[in-house]
Amino acid sequence: MLTLRKVVDFIDERTGLRVSLAAWRDHPAVGGAPWASAMAASVATCFGVLVLTGVLLMTAYAPSPQTAWASVHYVQFVLDRGWIVRGLHYWAAQALLVLAAVHVLAVAFAGSYRKPREIGWWLTLLVLGLAVAEGITGGLLPWDQLGWWARVVEGNIAGLAPVVGGWLQAMIGGGPELGALGLDRSYVAHVVLLPLVIALALWGRRALALRQGWTDAAATPGDSYPRQVARNALVAVAVVFVVFALTGWQHGAPLDGPADPFSDYPARPEWFLLPMFQLRKFFHGAMEFWGTSLGPGAAAALLVLLPWIAPPPRSRLGPVLALAVFGGAIAMALVARRHDAHDAAYRKARAMADAYAVAAARLAMNGVPPEGALAMVHHDPELHGQELFEKHCASCHVLGDLGDEKKATATKLDGWSTPAWIKAMIHDPDAPEFFGRGPYKGQMPSVDVRPKEVPAGQPWTPTIKNEAEKDAVALFLASQGDEPGDPPRRADEKVVALGEKIVSERCSTCHLYKGDGDEEGSGDAPELAHFGSIAWTRAQVANPSSADTYREKALSEELKKHMPRFDKELSAADVDTVARWTRSHARAAR
Amino acid sequence: MTNDNRDRRGALKTIAAVGGVIGCGALALPSVRFLIAPASGGASAGRWIKTLPLDSLREGEPKRVALIADHRDAWTLEKAVELGAAWLVRRGDAVLAWSVTCPHLGCAIDRSATGPGFNCPCHDSAFDAAGGRLTGPSPRGLDTLTTRVEEGFVMVQFQRFRQGIPEKVPAG
Repeated sequence: MLTLRKVVDFIDERTGLRVSLAAWRDHPAVGGAPWASAMAASVATCFGVLVLTGVLLMTAYAPSPQTAWASVHYVQFVLDRGWIVRGLHYWAAQALLVLAAVHVLAVAFAGSYRKPREIGWWLTLLVLGLAVAEGITGGLLPWDQLGWWARVVEGNIAGLAPVVGGWLQAMIGGGPELGALGLDRSYVAHVVLLPLVIALALWGRRALALRQGWTDAAATPGDSYPRQVARNALVAVAVVFVVFALTGWQHGAPLDGPADPFSDYPARPEWFLLPMFQLRKFFHGAMEFWGTSLGPGAAAALLVLLPWIAPPPRSRLGPVLALAVFGGAIAMALVARRHDAHDAAYRKARAMADAYAVAAARLAMNGVPPEGALAMVHHDPELHGQELFEKHCASCHVLGDLGDEKKATATKLDGWSTPAWIKAMIHDPDAPEFFGRGPYKGQMPSVDVRPKEVPAGQPWTPTIKNEAEKDAVALFLASQGDEPGDPPRRADEKVVALGEKIVSERCSTCHLYKGDGDEEGSGDAPELAHFGSIAWTRAQVANPSSADTYREKALSEELKKHMPRFDKELSAADVDTVARWTRSHARAAR
Repeated sequence: MTNDNRDRRGALKTIAAVGGVIGCGALALPSVRFLIAPASGGASAGRWIKTLPLDSLREGEPKRVALIADHRDAWTLEKAVELGAAWLVRRGDAVLAWSVTCPHLGCAIDRSATGPGFNCPCHDSAFDAAGGRLTGPSPRGLDTLTTRVEEGFVMVQFQRFRQGIPEKVPAG
């Protein structure tokens, strides 16, 4: 019967497998510093997790501006256990960065950077540097806002380098703008070139450690197994456990909204580059390149040259300098975070970016069109409607969180064309949320408040006599805007009929109703038929002087702060989208 | 070792060295060109793009407009997409335009939340209402774009500039 032993015997006879394995296990050369050595094992563990999950992710990832975000979204939200694989990859990468830095510190503390271990020390530093490079190249791959904007800024920073800047930027970005080739290059660096060099560096690091030991402490035969191997295994299990815990806690890894090159995104670098980001704020103009490259450059040079800077065997200078470098970096990153946490404009922009990410992720659950995730967002009436409102309406109007109450010059649209809104509006048209902030202030009289020009004692009749009539008018006008898709309105037909009677008889002194009215010919007041409907709203957005809503006078010189027409600057489809979006959100808002 | 043998070894070394250099060079040259050759694209620079009607701009009030045209990225040609954006400010019958791309490192400039000017959300560069540099790391003021009014519409000449240097130099 074929047993495992026989199989191993067969292989061992031809390859010497058992001897090789024993040599690997029982090497005697681990001299002291068992925990510095175990840190190397933890780095290798992270690397192993990254290679495994990375290869899995490659089976589902499609690198192109049209597909990258969609495929990452698919992995994160649709593919069975996709979030676990992606989460492990993401969190193992964060862990690798932290552990590679801790490893550098541990080696510095063990004094293992001195002769004859300089090359091992440099390989340790190299692994940290390459881990940062992996973080930078990997950050772009989801082609989300976070990664895209970080890369634009990083590419421009690379472009500042003397002499080679232009080349470097073209090589990283693949052209004058960050596009498909830039993504491909990041991808190849991330999945082939950098891992290859990291693997070589880790292998070299281990080979040197076996040859030289970690320190000069006497080597004890048999030390390595089981003592060191058990330590390494313990650290490896701890690392894997933490990476799993972080993955479970965050349900995978974060995914920002699809990259939108023309959005107002508050770009920030990956967390491990925050020190550089903060440093940039201290140096301006011609000093900028030197200030921001010499500082980190000097820190890196300090670490590389540590074998000569702090050579005496018992010097504590080495560990102190290494601690100073990392401590300084952490302090700078914390200052940057603190600054952002207290920056209201940043937090607002970040909150909007988060809302965009959530909305895009929800939308993509129905599938992403071949033109890509950005096209998906731009063609979605909900997201695109909001974007249009922000760009074209929110400079004057307020609706929900959009627009600025202090800068608004037009009607606040929360509840626009609902009964409650109409009732409040006809009672006090000059309130700030109605006409009070715009050119129509003073144009519409209240239906039930005595005007200031009419002194008390003089005869004056309100247009609308009592609450019941006001309710009837509000209900009638609100129902004028009802569309088949709206939630059903419970309305007494008699009340609605009373409202219509009042509107057609008393309001048409100034207003148009079904094209008639305005006996005095002032040309001020708008059409009330179908007020608040999709057609009315669309007509108002397209051209508020067409008589479908307001009339010619609306765009006259004396009212030039009145709402402009948008049919020349927006396509008919965009006018329709923003009108529908605004109407439905206004009527749903309280 | 005979002289003959030594000559022979010398010749072989020369052949190996020359062959190595030629072989590696032949591989390296196209490889390097392949990597640093810019992707096609950027041909959009210098193009006149139609934006808003002049009437829709209010005197002195900045308005952000998308610059929409065809965009070429390596092998992809997208029709009518946003190539970039500009801030437009009307001055009588003329229009000033600034690229929204920060001259520092390329983030999108927004209007200042507190004053009449502009600022960058990334590194806190601030610009006055005329696009001049106020504070922050930007090495120059906002980049102006050429405009003209044609049949009532504002036309903007799309252009990118190199980031992070005091001079305004077209990119690409």
